[in-house]
Amino acid sequence: MRRRDVAAAVVAAGAAVTAGLYRFTDLFVKHYPPTPYDDLLTRLTDREQAAKLGAQLTGSFDLASQSTRLRDTFRKQDLAAAANADIAAGRMVEIGGWVLPETVALLSALASRV
Amino acid sequence: MTAFIDARTIPNGQVLTPDLAIVGAGPAGISLALALKDSKISIALLESGSTSFDPEIQKMYTGAQTGVGYVPLDAGRMRAMGGGTNHWGGWCRPMDAIDFEAKPWMPHSGWPFGRATLEPYYPRAQALVEAGPWIYDQKGDLVAGTKGPVLPLGDGGLYTSWFQFSKTRDSVLPTQFGHRYGDDLRAAKNVTPYVRASVTGIRLAANGASVDHLDIATLSGKHFTIKPRMTVLAAGAMENARLMLASNDVISAGVGNQNDLVGRFFADNPIPRDVATLVSFAGPLAAFYGSNQTLDDGAIMRATFAPTAAFRRKAQVAGSLSTVEPAVDLDETGKAAVITTALALGVNAANAQAYSLGCGIELSPDPDRRLTLTGEKDALGLPRLKLDMRVADEDFDRFHQTLTELGRQLLASRTGMLRINCKDRQDWMKRMDWGHHHLGTTRMHNDPKQGVVDADGLVHGIANLYVAGSGVFPSYSASNPTLNLVALTLRLGDHLKKVMA
Repeated sequence: MRRRDVAAAVVAAGAAVTAGLYRFTDLFVKHYPPTPYDDLLTRLTDREQAAKLGAQLTGSFDLASQSTRLRDTFRKQDLAAAANADIAAGRMVEIGGWVLPETVALLSALASRV
Repeated sequence: MTAFIDARTIPNGQVLTPDLAIVGAGPAGISLALALKDSKISIALLESGSTSFDPEIQKMYTGAQTGVGYVPLDAGRMRAMGGGTNHWGGWCRPMDAIDFEAKPWMPHSGWPFGRATLEPYYPRAQALVEAGPWIYDQKGDLVAGTKGPVLPLGDGGLYTSWFQFSKTRDSVLPTQFGHRYGDDLRAAKNVTPYVRASVTGIRLAANGASVDHLDIATLSGKHFTIKPRMTVLAAGAMENARLMLASNDVISAGVGNQNDLVGRFFADNPIPRDVATLVSFAGPLAAFYGSNQTLDDGAIMRATFAPTAAFRRKAQVAGSLSTVEPAVDLDETGKAAVITTALALGVNAANAQAYSLGCGIELSPDPDRRLTLTGEKDALGLPRLKLDMRVADEDFDRFHQTLTELGRQLLASRTGMLRINCKDRQDWMKRMDWGHHHLGTTRMHNDPKQGVVDADGLVHGIANLYVAGSGVFPSYSASNPTLNLVALTLRLGDHLKKVMA
């Protein structure tokens, strides 16, 4: 066996182990493939639960325009502040009947659609 | 002490001449008789039923129905001494001041007077229904709060309001007027209570301007006459309308029905079940949210969420009272909603507890929700009723708005959140139940073209015929009617003392 082949095999094995370890940590922290909306989705502490909620949103949901809207929102404030501003202003959205702050609803819907 | 007189013992053809005939011995009729006892007014209190339930007499209530599903006409009322109080739940709450107002977003709403007019009568009404000391909203938070924390709702459209309850006996039933006040009626020298005495006709004088006499019959075949100076119909919103419509020998449209209003505007309080799911982030709510709690001073109370007058005006919603019902488990979406929202707000919801939410809703007045007579007759020859029952989509939409506001407030105060379980009319109707609160069929209005009775309960155009009870409510409130109709009846008692002096 040539030295070059051994090195390649070692690299491949290392990559496999790393990948395995990475998947193993899914048990603790869910990993998602990259999306164009990760800057928004990282604001969700539990993206899996948010996606489960967002999946119940009926009707159309335009990813491009809603993500732009969310980015505008988060330029000025964090998620908690945005949610509280929605509540104070009465910007409420129902998902599966749950009365939610608009930002939480939009972010959840986004999580369910990527 | 005189016994109740069984009308079957009255000789055929006899004419009785009391000063006042009260037709019906339910909460209105008995309250009126008690208000006038020991006065110089001689009173015949006429109850069609007996002192206890009699299925043959009850059958006279049977009727037909069209429209949305509703309870059969012989259910939800009781043809016996004590009337509806024989099977009521004892829920008491005074109507809010805004309930009396004409509300531009609710056509036909508004009373001829405000709550201040009834205010002096509430303490006596509260005593008659035996609901203990007057607490309600004035000091409910303070008094009931000693039993546990009141859920903070912060600023917004709803607040924690309070029901009080008629005293229970043997932990089962609240005050049944027939049993509770039977001895008082027997002891009153000027009151003669009759049982099994069914009024089958209100006979007007030839000019149609006054009542000449009442035809009375029994199921045993006796017929006699009562010729009073004054008559008060207190037989319930359905039966009062039926008697007036059926008594059409002088005025062909029926007594008091010259403007085709008798029987119209029928209403009840819808009480759809499990309309929403309320989540308390911090865990179980105080016991007075989900069940009646007896306080140290004897008052029995339960919390309810009510819209403020300001919110009702701003959002143009009707009255409603939402109550916390049994705890429920959340489904996966519900858990996701709580986790996601609590994390977004930075709230700890690890011990969150969910509850079903029930409610009572005020309907909008609707002239087409009405009672009419059918060709079928009961055992005494009185035409049976047909009810055309309706609920407008706007009534559901308005309550949906109120629930949305409650959900918003729970989030604003970081105490919880809400799911609305009804998204369309079908959902609401699927959960529908009724309060058995019969309202509105002889509505009160100063204008004879808009009401059957005036502000005193006097039938427009008839000099000596009054109507008592919740049938005269021109708009309805979400509050249970008994306490309020008793207060209104006590007011009528004061009026009659003056006009009959």
